[in-house]
Amino acid sequence: MKILESQSALLTNHEVYTFLQNQAREYQEQKRRGPGNLETLRRELLQYLRSEENPLSQEPPAYNDESIAKLLERLRPYEIQKGEMVMIMNLRPVNIPMLNAVLEDMEERFTAEEQEDIAAGIEEVLGKFPPKGQGEEEGDAMQTTENGS
Amino acid sequence: MFILTKIADLVQIAPAQFEKHSRVAIEDNINAKYSNRVIQKIGLCICMYDLLWASEGLIGHGTGLVNVNVEFRLIVFRPFKGETILGRISSATPEGINIRTDFFEEIFVSYKELPESCEFNHNAQLWTWVVDDDRMYYDKNEPVRLSVIDEVWHDQVPEGTAEDAVEQAKKLSPYSIQGTMMKEGLGVCIWWDDTEE
Repeated sequence: MKILESQSALLTNHEVYTFLQNQAREYQEQKRRGPGNLETLRRELLQYLRSEENPLSQEPPAYNDESIAKLLERLRPYEIQKGEMVMIMNLRPVNIPMLNAVLEDMEERFTAEEQEDIAAGIEEVLGKFPPKGQGEEEGDAMQTTENGS
Repeated sequence: MFILTKIADLVQIAPAQFEKHSRVAIEDNINAKYSNRVIQKIGLCICMYDLLWASEGLIGHGTGLVNVNVEFRLIVFRPFKGETILGRISSATPEGINIRTDFFEEIFVSYKELPESCEFNHNAQLWTWVVDDDRMYYDKNEPVRLSVIDEVWHDQVPEGTAEDAVEQAKKLSPYSIQGTMMKEGLGVCIWWDDTEE
């Protein structure tokens, strides 16, 4: 084995998710199974990407292949770095505290209005979760957490 | 969280796999070798992304294996330093909080990287963040956001006997991630979910 290029590209979760879903579908159509280690990992990874907090879990899908281009266009004035853009795609921070977890030195780089506009732009392009009617499906992880807010 | 890594390798296709198309046989071989394994300083390999090049197959002398030189790109899990990612709390100790994802378990947030007014509850084995008079809990299984600050690599080259190597592999995982939750927006997800704008 020889590493030719340790990092030739950065992928968003959406790209990985789409790739794995297509792979799973193709394998099924060809009546083919990948090696066991791959099948296990693919299942676990899809489960992670579809977990409740993950924007990719939303139905109907909030993301499509044009999402990145649209988002770049919308946020162009703010000179957001590539890594930050990937995090925005992956985590979809639509409020200020979540945005703060994604943008480095947010307070120094952006005024309060700009922060609001970035969050609004993200919501415009990528959408957001509908207000929680408290999803009943997954009860176990949700206990004892009402003291938040 | 994910990157593409370009790799060159030799793939050996066994006669039993000759009925497969070459492309399928090559892909299966690559995935069998790399998927769910850690390459030091590269990350956790997910699977082959695309096949860039493959040589003619050469039949090995005496074995019947077909040798093919290939170049391909691999999807790799390797969150960069400073990246914020999602995980779930798996357990807590006085030293800090262990976090996992569905496919990767080795994430740790030291007590030094929790917000200042955090305390550990020995009876319940969990951390609590005390803000004014409010107590907020880092409950087990709770989805959290953390930011990656460092990574630790352990090359599991076998030394000594096989038993030693197995013992050592149990103690030291080949790749683990250190994170922080000391920033607004990090920590248990629902704390930050619905802020009034």
